[in-house]
Amino acid sequence: MVERNIFVRILHPIFVSLIYIFLYLPIVVLVLFSFNKSSIASGWSGFSLKWFKALLQSPEMLEALKVSLIVALTSTFLSVLMGAALVFASRWWKKSFLFNIFNINIILPEIIIAVGLISIFTFFKIPLGYESLIAGHTLIGLGFVVPIILSRFKELDPMLTEASTDLGARPLQTFSKIVLPLLAPAIIVSCFLVFTLSLDDFFISFFCSGVKVQTLSVYIFSLVRQGIDPRVNAISTCLLAVSSICVLVLCSSKIVGQVFGYGK
Amino acid sequence: MNFVKRILQEEYPFIFALPAFMWQLFFLYLPLVSIVVFSFLEFSPLQGFLGFSFSYYVKIFKLVYLKVILNSFFLALFTSIICLVISYPVAYFLALKVKRFKTLFLFGLVLPSWTNLIVQIYAWFFLLERRSIISKLLCYIGIFSEPRHMINSYFSTMIGMVYCFLPFMILPIYTVLEKMNRSLLEASSDLGASRFVTFRKVILPISLPGIYTGLLLVFVPAFGEFVIPSLLGGAKKAYWGTVIVDKFLISGEWRSGFAIATVGVLFLGLFIGLLFSVFKIVKVLKTKRFKLKIQASKK
Amino acid sequence: MRAIKIQNVSKSYNQELILDDLSLNIPSGQFFTLLGPSGCGKTTLLRLISGLETVDSGKIFLGDEDITYQPAYKRRVNTVFQQYALFPHLSVFDNVAYSLRIKGVSEKIVRHKVLHLLAIVRLAGREFKEIKNLSGGQQQRVALARAIACEPEVLLLDEPLAALDFNLREQMLIELMDLQEKFKTTFVYITHDQSEALTVSDSMAIMNHDGQIEQIGTSEEIYEFPSSCFVANFVGNTNIIEGVLYIRDNQIEFKVDGLGDFWVFVPKKKSWMVSGRKVFMSLRPEKILISKKKMENFSNHLVGTVLNVVYKGRSTLYKVRLKNGKLILAFEQNEEHFPQQEDICAQDEVNLYFQKENIVLLER
Repeated sequence: MVERNIFVRILHPIFVSLIYIFLYLPIVVLVLFSFNKSSIASGWSGFSLKWFKALLQSPEMLEALKVSLIVALTSTFLSVLMGAALVFASRWWKKSFLFNIFNINIILPEIIIAVGLISIFTFFKIPLGYESLIAGHTLIGLGFVVPIILSRFKELDPMLTEASTDLGARPLQTFSKIVLPLLAPAIIVSCFLVFTLSLDDFFISFFCSGVKVQTLSVYIFSLVRQGIDPRVNAISTCLLAVSSICVLVLCSSKIVGQVFGYGK
Repeated sequence: MNFVKRILQEEYPFIFALPAFMWQLFFLYLPLVSIVVFSFLEFSPLQGFLGFSFSYYVKIFKLVYLKVILNSFFLALFTSIICLVISYPVAYFLALKVKRFKTLFLFGLVLPSWTNLIVQIYAWFFLLERRSIISKLLCYIGIFSEPRHMINSYFSTMIGMVYCFLPFMILPIYTVLEKMNRSLLEASSDLGASRFVTFRKVILPISLPGIYTGLLLVFVPAFGEFVIPSLLGGAKKAYWGTVIVDKFLISGEWRSGFAIATVGVLFLGLFIGLLFSVFKIVKVLKTKRFKLKIQASKK
Repeated sequence: MRAIKIQNVSKSYNQELILDDLSLNIPSGQFFTLLGPSGCGKTTLLRLISGLETVDSGKIFLGDEDITYQPAYKRRVNTVFQQYALFPHLSVFDNVAYSLRIKGVSEKIVRHKVLHLLAIVRLAGREFKEIKNLSGGQQQRVALARAIACEPEVLLLDEPLAALDFNLREQMLIELMDLQEKFKTTFVYITHDQSEALTVSDSMAIMNHDGQIEQIGTSEEIYEFPSSCFVANFVGNTNIIEGVLYIRDNQIEFKVDGLGDFWVFVPKKKSWMVSGRKVFMSLRPEKILISKKKMENFSNHLVGTVLNVVYKGRSTLYKVRLKNGKLILAFEQNEEHFPQQEDICAQDEVNLYFQKENIVLLER
């Protein structure tokens, strides 16, 4: 249907463009100034990579990066593994029931989950650190992994698993030879998703970070608290680059709908 | 060994579901329950467990704490409304007006929000503080007399909130509109409805579930926000999130913390329940009105 | 090869009874067809035999072995699905090799067997093609090869030709028959197309809407001697006339109101054939000779007016209205052998002649 109303026809795209500008202006400026020679004060004083080099020279930054990576990789591994195992066993339950149980992880405010986590860890006298971070991040990861893989699983032609069983394959064989390969795209996307989510997470990391163990987000937060710091620009640029890759994978796989579209 | 073999041959398939369930149970449900339970427990380091009491609830039932919850409520509400108003046209445009490069547009939309929260906030921090370009620009134009901080205000908090949550409102609406059967629109115009009527009677009702999801995805996290207000808003106002951080990480008053947390979640739950009922009622009313219309036309 | 014995099997879905106390013996090594209207429960029965569903009550035997509760992957029964259900992420070769590899057969033997099979189903040279690049007929043949690969005792075919167009269907039917001959596997074939069934079967069972077996027999038996109006109507076309049976001096007469008496020849007298009983008679359209002239040597004779004439290429179908208002269908082959073919048009008065041997009496 062609818009006959010229007013709307011009305004609509303009409005949308403005929103996109709104979304990108801060980021662009941020990235731009991470290459700025001087620290922010006035305008542009030349191209320089010195802030990136400064990152490498900061032991706290590197330590936080290490923590973030370890937590992200572990959480990804754990949540995807458990999620796939759950799907394997899921034929016995109604899918919507499973969906809802794990959906809660995303619906609940992260701050409550974080509070819950630290109280449990404190109650059992386990010091906050890697364990609590991984516990929390995996939890969030599960909240995404389970709906995604379950949806894809539901979409699979049920006849395929029946054909496999009919031809003599035991359930585990059917799962590994037929279901898993067909679920592979969803699994890969979930991996990227959880990895990014973990890197970007703040709330749970903030509460669950230990004295010596803190993730990148928490460290950056402490820096930002003190004001402008060009090293933050630099690390932000790096994080953005990593996120772009993951978002690219996410968007090109059409999973977006499943992550955000399961409203009532 | 036999048992392991039998598990693998899937005679006990539910075993595979156990890890995920155990994880959920131990790290989510148990903590949640304990939050509520502990908020009622009276503890003393010397005497140990003393018994149940509402004492902590009484402690927090002061006006200041209730105000905190209201602050969060309104923050979340305004954020949601602004996001909704902005999102709908954008989602509509993306779903129905964009023909090519849809993935690119989507990618562009998701990227800013799928980055680190702190990075997002810092980006605005950078942009809005005294020595930034925008400040200088506005000074140049003449709106400001001298470069100054634009952060540490409710306005900057709002900008940050909307910025971080906008894509979460756009995407669900987009998803619903994208999935909509286009021939419905054609049928509607074929039956004589103008574009506006088609929008009101076909597109809007169909997008309602998307709007509901979007509200959920924005309001709930926004309610628990404390980072954005504290970094961009100069920590001038106290929010539910900031109080919780204070109780748990700074002052160590855990029991009050539990109480406040429980109250906040209850409040949130009530509001969401209300929202849900509103949507349901709207749905029912529409069907009822429709039925009444049919009955009336039959007579 | 063992025979299949289905004993008093019942199955419900969503509180709806699909199969009710059904019993059936399927002989081994034959092309057996299960024919019935859509939705009558044939697929359900097939799934019970394959093990993809479990019975609510009753037993299923393969020879002497009770396989009622045996899981599908243990049974030596394979299925060719209606929509083929080929594994999209595996090539043609891998699909066919699937069951062999599950069993742990050595790759050398697998390779040999699969290539041999693909040659038989005329897909040689296409081993490494992707499923999505195959035509319907090709996919169907892959499905077939895949199901036979591990040499099952029973092959179940669930309307495998339904998705193919007419010419391809004819061709595939013949290929299926050849395959069955070659492998001597018991084929259990499901269809709702009676011409398919008649073509392909060594024997068949007719199932009615209520999920019950009406009749079992060879194609000829079922066609020429249907046991009920349902079977007579379902397999081929027929004319059903209701009337009363009379037995006089060992001669059987059939009296119809408004039409008169007919002589009936009954090869074997059944217990329900008593005088005075209300029965039905089935008369196939092709057994009627339609002519404007007077003919001798026919036991039975009817008169009527032609309502319409439908030219069908190979044959012509006449719809004739009898004196009592009943409509009769008559077929005539459009042959060129007898040049004095008369021209029969609508509104013509015609004679319908048929022999007493061509009438089949039906109880219900």
